[in-house]
Amino acid sequence: MPGDIVGQMLGQTGTDRAAEQALRGFFGLDRPLWRQFGDWVGATLTGDLGRSWYQGRAVWTMVWEAFLVTAELASATLVLATLVGVPLGVVAGIVHGSRLDAAIQGFNLVGLSAPVFWLGLMLLVGASAVLDWSPPFAWSGPTEDLEDNISILVLPVLSLAVLQAAAYGQFVRGLMVEELGRDYIRAARAKGMTPFDIHFRHALANVMVPLVTFMGLVLIQILGGVVIIESLFSLPGLGRLILSGIQGRDYPVVQGALFFVVLIATTVNLGVDLLYGLLDPRLKP
Amino acid sequence: MTAWRLGLALALVFAVLLLAPGLVAPQSPLALDPARALQAPSAAHWFGTDDVGRDVFSRVVHGTRITLGLVTFSLLLSLLIGGGLGVVAGFAGGWFDLGLARLADMVQTFPPIIAGVMITGVLGPGAANLVLALSVIYLPSFFRIGRSAALAEAQLTYVEAARAAGFGEASILLRQVLPNTLPVLVLNFVIIFPLALQIEAALGFLGLGVVPPMPDWGAILEQGKNFILVAWWVSLWPGVFVLASALAMTLLGHGLRARLGR
Repeated sequence: MPGDIVGQMLGQTGTDRAAEQALRGFFGLDRPLWRQFGDWVGATLTGDLGRSWYQGRAVWTMVWEAFLVTAELASATLVLATLVGVPLGVVAGIVHGSRLDAAIQGFNLVGLSAPVFWLGLMLLVGASAVLDWSPPFAWSGPTEDLEDNISILVLPVLSLAVLQAAAYGQFVRGLMVEELGRDYIRAARAKGMTPFDIHFRHALANVMVPLVTFMGLVLIQILGGVVIIESLFSLPGLGRLILSGIQGRDYPVVQGALFFVVLIATTVNLGVDLLYGLLDPRLKP
Repeated sequence: MTAWRLGLALALVFAVLLLAPGLVAPQSPLALDPARALQAPSAAHWFGTDDVGRDVFSRVVHGTRITLGLVTFSLLLSLLIGGGLGVVAGFAGGWFDLGLARLADMVQTFPPIIAGVMITGVLGPGAANLVLALSVIYLPSFFRIGRSAALAEAQLTYVEAARAAGFGEASILLRQVLPNTLPVLVLNFVIIFPLALQIEAALGFLGLGVVPPMPDWGAILEQGKNFILVAWWVSLWPGVFVLASALAMTLLGHGLRARLGR
């Protein structure tokens, strides 16, 4: 692996073989790779993620603190995107073929194509030019200063939510169009059921199961998106922790944070599977 | 299909920019002119100038070849290697298929951008590492598509007929199954393209893409970030270009999918 922490620490001072050897021994980098990884897996299984090579702090604490930031950002984004995207998709599906549908599809396509970080930058410019407002520079948690916390999160949440709302809109529209074309809907129409009942009691209820799966996908997408948006808005979350860890070759931090991200992704997938049974009794074992 | 036409027209424009950027933007994308730093858009500099006086229009236009070229090249690699392995795995089955499928699962555990940051972060910035990262991230997608297409083909009567007629397995695979799986692999290329483009731009934006002063869209965006409130034009245009080319490929993908009946 090109460049490790020892190379970065000694990079400026030239080649001091003895110091290099000593430091490699200290960090355990002189052991074979499989031993290093085996030891990490062993320690992780006992709940010990090690300590950061730069800060000396427990990785578990660092990852947990970063997770709280990312969790707030991601859940706010998920709620906003769901509240905007699902109704957009439902409406577009109901009126499909109309001008309103075309407009919503236009929003979906542009929202899916716009780079998240570019949207963030443009929102920053817009807020400064139109509202003469800029978010605070330093992060403060919701328990420290709620007002600052909300103002620093507004733009990142907005820029992430546009993409995911567009993804929802497109997906839900497709589901609704398909559902509304089914025979039982035609039968319901024929026997004089009100459009409200047809759309919301029948079609929407049947769309719920795939929608929940999609929500899990969206959440995992958001976890990916935070890497960029956190570095743009200087939020001390998991994404920035991974990025700075990789740049500093701080392996315990990178491994710990990645382990956590993969753990979250797996948990989300499992949660989605469990929710299936609740939403669709036919899928119960 | 007006959407399909819009996609085709946009794709054509980008193809011209990619093949002959000098025709559209004769000014050099690299020439410094500190006396004209951070000028707002004007007749001489349509998109304005950056902090060292380079023409942003020229940089963005010449960036087409870097950004879209790198994405195209990376995904072609994924298509050839991932799709090829997938077709062979789906056709051959057995432990070869099983092992590769598990490997594909492993790569897909990570959200794409996180995998991209890991690979380019560890290997360092540069075009070669960027191509490596992008092609590895999207290998599993092509592998799956190729595999399921080959599985479906292998059930069909013509394969049975070819076997009965005495064709060898290798000949059936290469001359009959492989060509029949190409359309879905190409469709997947078009569908994946906008996603890979976003990752490429994001890695450029994080400073993990090509090395400056190469005019990559993500890198220009990142450069503009530092003086965004003074000179918004530096970051605006590369983003618009990413958006427009992603949109073009998405529309082409929708059209192709409808045409292929999938």
